[in-house]
Parts: sequence; C-alpha cells; structure tokens
Amino acid sequence: MIAVRTRIVIAIAGLSLLMLLLFIADLLLGSTHMNFADVMGSLFGKGDPGDEIIVMQFRLPKAITAVLAGAAMSVSGLLMQTLFRNPLAGPDVLGVSSGAGLGVALTLLTLTPLITLPAGSLLAGWGLILAAWAGAGVVMLIIMAVSARMRDIMTVLIVGLLLASAISAVVSLLQYFSNEAMLRTYVIWTMGNLGSISYPQIRALSLATAVGLIIAFIMVKPLNAMLMGETFSRTVGVKMQRTRIILLASASILAGSVTAFCGPLAFIGVAVPHVARLIFGTTDHRTLMPGAALCGAVIMLLSDIISNAPGGGHIIPVNTVTSLVGIPVVLWIIIGKRGLGRKF
Amino acid sequence: MGTNEIIAETSDLAIGYRNRDRVFRVLEGLSLKARHGELVALIGRNGTGKSTLLRTLTGLIPPLGGRIMLEGNPLNSISLSQLPRIVSFVSTEPVAIHNIKVRDVVSLGRFPYTNWIGTLSQTDEEAVQSAMEATGLTGLAGRSIDSISDGERQRTLIARSLAQDTGLLVMDEPTAFLDLPSRYGIVSLLRKLTREKDKCVIYSTHDLDTAINEADRIWLMTGDGVTEGAPEDLMLTGRLARAFESPLLSFSINDGTFSFVRSRQTGIALEGKGKAAKLTARALARCGYTTDPQALLTVKVSESAGETEWTVTDGVNVRRYGSLYDLVTGLPSGDH
Repeated sequence: MIAVRTRIVIAIAGLSLLMLLLFIADLLLGSTHMNFADVMGSLFGKGDPGDEIIVMQFRLPKAITAVLAGAAMSVSGLLMQTLFRNPLAGPDVLGVSSGAGLGVALTLLTLTPLITLPAGSLLAGWGLILAAWAGAGVVMLIIMAVSARMRDIMTVLIVGLLLASAISAVVSLLQYFSNEAMLRTYVIWTMGNLGSISYPQIRALSLATAVGLIIAFIMVKPLNAMLMGETFSRTVGVKMQRTRIILLASASILAGSVTAFCGPLAFIGVAVPHVARLIFGTTDHRTLMPGAALCGAVIMLLSDIISNAPGGGHIIPVNTVTSLVGIPVVLWIIIGKRGLGRKF
Repeated sequence: MGTNEIIAETSDLAIGYRNRDRVFRVLEGLSLKARHGELVALIGRNGTGKSTLLRTLTGLIPPLGGRIMLEGNPLNSISLSQLPRIVSFVSTEPVAIHNIKVRDVVSLGRFPYTNWIGTLSQTDEEAVQSAMEATGLTGLAGRSIDSISDGERQRTLIARSLAQDTGLLVMDEPTAFLDLPSRYGIVSLLRKLTREKDKCVIYSTHDLDTAINEADRIWLMTGDGVTEGAPEDLMLTGRLARAFESPLLSFSINDGTFSFVRSRQTGIALEGKGKAAKLTARALARCGYTTDPQALLTVKVSESAGETEWTVTDGVNVRRYGSLYDLVTGLPSGDH
C-alpha cells in the first residue's frame, strides 16, 4: 500500500513539474526569439511592449488552451473507455469529434452568413461550443444505443467509423455549397489549432472544461464499480441509467468544447488514458482521472512545442503532431503483449 | 450452527423477460425457501432458466408475477441503497480489466458502505481483510487479477461478494470452467461460509457430483418448475434421476452419480482377486461386458513377480495380455 501511494505521489509531482516546465518552454519558444526574463517581464506587464503583445495575445492563450484541451480530451477518453468498457474508445475513434465537427461545420458553413456575430462576442464563443456539444452528444447517444445491443468491441468501433464517414460526407456536401472564405475557416479549423483562440473563448473553454472535469470527478466511485461490469455495478446499487447519462454528458461537454475551438484533436483522447494507466499502475479513477488530465496537458504542450519547431513562422498542424504521438500508443494497445484486450 | 431463519422465500413466483411489449415467461409457480447457514445448489439442464431465477432473486430483473421476500421484506419494497446490503451477486460476467489488484477487486465489494469517493473506513478495511482471509487470498492481495489462476480469480469474486457483507450470496455458475480440484475447492469454501459465517449461499451449477455431496438443499429446475429438498429427498422420489436421465445416461442411487447406459451387453466370467480384478471389471463394463460366472468367455487375472497378466479363453483359443488396454482392444466389442 505504501509503495503504491509513494508511486502516485511521485508521479503526480513529476508530471506537475514537467507541465510547468513545458508551459514555460511553450511561452519561450516561437518565431520571435525571447529569453526567460523577456517572457516573465511580459507576463507581469514590465517587458517590451512588442514582446508583451506576442506573449499575452498569442503564446499565453495558446499554452493555456493546450493545457485545457489536453486535460479535457484525455479525461473524456478515460470516461468513454470505462463507459463502453472498450480500450479503443475515445472522442475521435468513436466519431464523437466528428459529431462535434458537424456542429461546428453547420455553424461555420451555414449559420455564420445568416447571423453575423460581432467578432469576439460572448455569443460567438458559446454558439460554436453549443453546436459542438449537440453534435458530440448525438453521436454519443447513437454509440451508446449500439453498444447496449452489441457488446462486441469491434462492432462499436465499426459503427463509430461509419458515423465518422457519414458525417464527413455531410460536411463535404456543406462545403460544396459554401463560399471560399467560409471554406477556408473550416479547413483551417480541421487541422487543429490551439492558437486562434481569443480570451472570451478561453473563458468559455475553461468554464466548460471545469464543469466537465468536476462532473467527471464526482463520478469516480460508480466509474470504479463499472470496471467490474454492468451486472456488478447494478447489484452494488449504481443507478446505471442515470450514471450513463451523466458520464455521457460530461464526456460530450469535454470533447465537444475542445473540438469547437481547437479542431478535432486526433488520438489524444484514446491514447493518454493508457499512458496514465502505465505511469500510475492503477485502474482506480480517483488517481487515474487527475493523472490522465496531467498527462494530457503535458502531451498537448509538447505537441504544441513540436508544432512550432520548424520556426520562421511555419507551423505543423497540431492535429498532425498529436496523430504522430498518439498512433504509436494506439498501435501498442492493439498489438502489444496483451493484445487488443477484451481487457484494459 | 446458524440462526436457521429464512432469508429468501418466493411464493408463486413467475420468472422471465419482458422485451418491449412481449413477455417471455420462463417458469411460473415457483415457491422456494432458503435459510441462513444453508448452501443451496440450483441445478437443471441448459436453458431451463437458472440464470433468470438468480437474476430475479437479486432484483436485476423484475418478476413477472408472485412474490419474493428477502430478510422478511418484499423485494419490491427494499430500496436501491438497502438491497446491496442484503444480497450480493457473482455473475458469469468476466472481469474485463487486467491490471487491477486482487485486493482492489475485493475492496469494490464495500461499495454500498463507502462515501461518495469510495474511501475505505476502518470497518471497511476490516471487512475486506476478513473476506480475504476467509477465502485464503491474503497471500495474493497485491497480485494483479490476470496473473492468478481461474480458481483464484473465482475466489477473488467470492471474496468481493463476502466483503459486501450480505446475509445472502447468490452466484451464477461459480465453478464453470474450473478443473476438478478447483471445483471442489470452491464448493467447500461456499459450504464453509455458510457454516462459519451463517451466510446463505445460493449457487447454480452443472456439477451434480459436488452439488449432491455438499449442498444442504437442492433447487432442481426442470421445464415445469423447481422442486426443492435435500439431495437425498430428490434421489428418493426419483426426481433427480428423471431430470437428467436420457437414453444415454442412467442414475445410480448408490453413489449419486450418472453413468452411460450400455445398450446391449455380453456376459464374461472374471476370475481373480484384489484391485486388479476390480479394475478389470470396470474396464470390461466400459466396453459393454457384464460379469457373469456362467459365461463361456473367461478372463483370468493372475499376478506373478509383481507383473499382472490377463488370460482370455473362449473354450477354444487362449490369449494372454500384459495390460488392460491390450485386453479390451483384443476382445470383440461387447455392445455390438
């Protein structure tokens, strides 16, 4: 017991420190060279005005978004893996990100010209988020209906893939009928971008993430019971119907909000919970949930740093980076020594 | 011994499934009892509805009619938070996670008693510890669930059920997929729990031998209902034999076991003494021969210098064999 606790404390402390270091590194690195003193000066309003604009308007929101998005996507993936008892569940794999994307596409490609919103208005932020939530929620409901009928992991994954394809077909149709400017906004959104987010949007994203994470954390006890299966959960008094709906809402809020502002971030949701399980050596959600949130934040910060690596104003789309980081982990889940588990 | 009070009782119970507007009635008119300190084995052929009955008893599926009383209260009047303190259930659902520790699985049995985040209190820790001790798992506490044997995993689930601290423990086929020693291990553990902790354990099984030898009460499920009684009651009335007998199987009251029916048998005379002669008779029976001192065909078992030899004569030819295998393959098949 002592050894387990020590391991958890060390892992949490280590990851927190790593997150802090990467957060600072994310502020330091970019096309304009800045040293530590410049960045700190800008943060506290005592630096060069030019640097201050770069740090406060671009780098800081980007780093904050990376932390929020990483934590939210990872916890969303963790919830879905336990909810569906499926090690390959995740917002992108099951088509939930696509659902959120459809909401976004409908908003960006059709609604925008009808109701021109003042840029940066509160409604602009929330409109996109609400559309993404609705899209994510609908896909989650469909997946849940399917997984209630078919226990088979592969069936559920295939339905997720089909849904994602169907949605992308609908989005293609929408693109066909939309104008060039709208199309541009949408395509850039699909590449995943942590940097194009304004402070009002960050406020919305923080609030949504906080709500999603709090709801998720309240559910750790039933989540732990659900590891033992539905029958066990019911016989120890978990109200399954209610629990499922709450978890579904929380996972949709988390994945939907991030997707709305940052685009469909690939593979973070499915891969990070496994990394957290490996680091913490436990299946207990009381540890795993904060653990996955921290791992997610660290990996997103790292991905953001890598995406800025080419320098000179060029960036690699974040989605590309997260795919390159996440796919090996997913491969490891599928062909690793335990194989694609009925177990996880 | 225990308090002997009735813990579970059904009267005129009808079980089955509701699927939208259709009702699948599996069995009806079930009036059964189980007491504290009693091991109840639910036996019956595949598809007769054993799981349905167990799931109805634990409140997982609603009864289609009749009444269930648990600890003297109607099941439908027991609240969702109270029920897990009265009855626990080990289903056939496999444990689907691999890196969970044995002790953590057992701790999950405390779910109905812990706070919102599932912190184990002193009482909870003690209950977990005592459940692990009763099931002989203390040495495996830190092991991961997928690194232990099937029998140990089943014991872990029983410990989880025990940690739930209910008077009634219901288990769906706890001995399925286990080898013979593990099956006996599990059933004798269940029996011990009923004796030492005054629990009532109701379990379904296909393992007639252990059920007949260890259970206090048998619920025998057939297509037209459930008959209950001591194993010997069911043997006496011939119910047990009728439930399982088929053209291929016959039931022996002497040792409470089923054996294959040999359709047509040939007589053979057996000469010899001791273990070798007994085993020879057994091997001959398996091949469709009955021992008949009047038969022309004769097998003589003789021992010399620690070697056993079988001599077969049909009055004309004499053949000698060095093992029972050679003997029975050398003989013309008796049941043809």
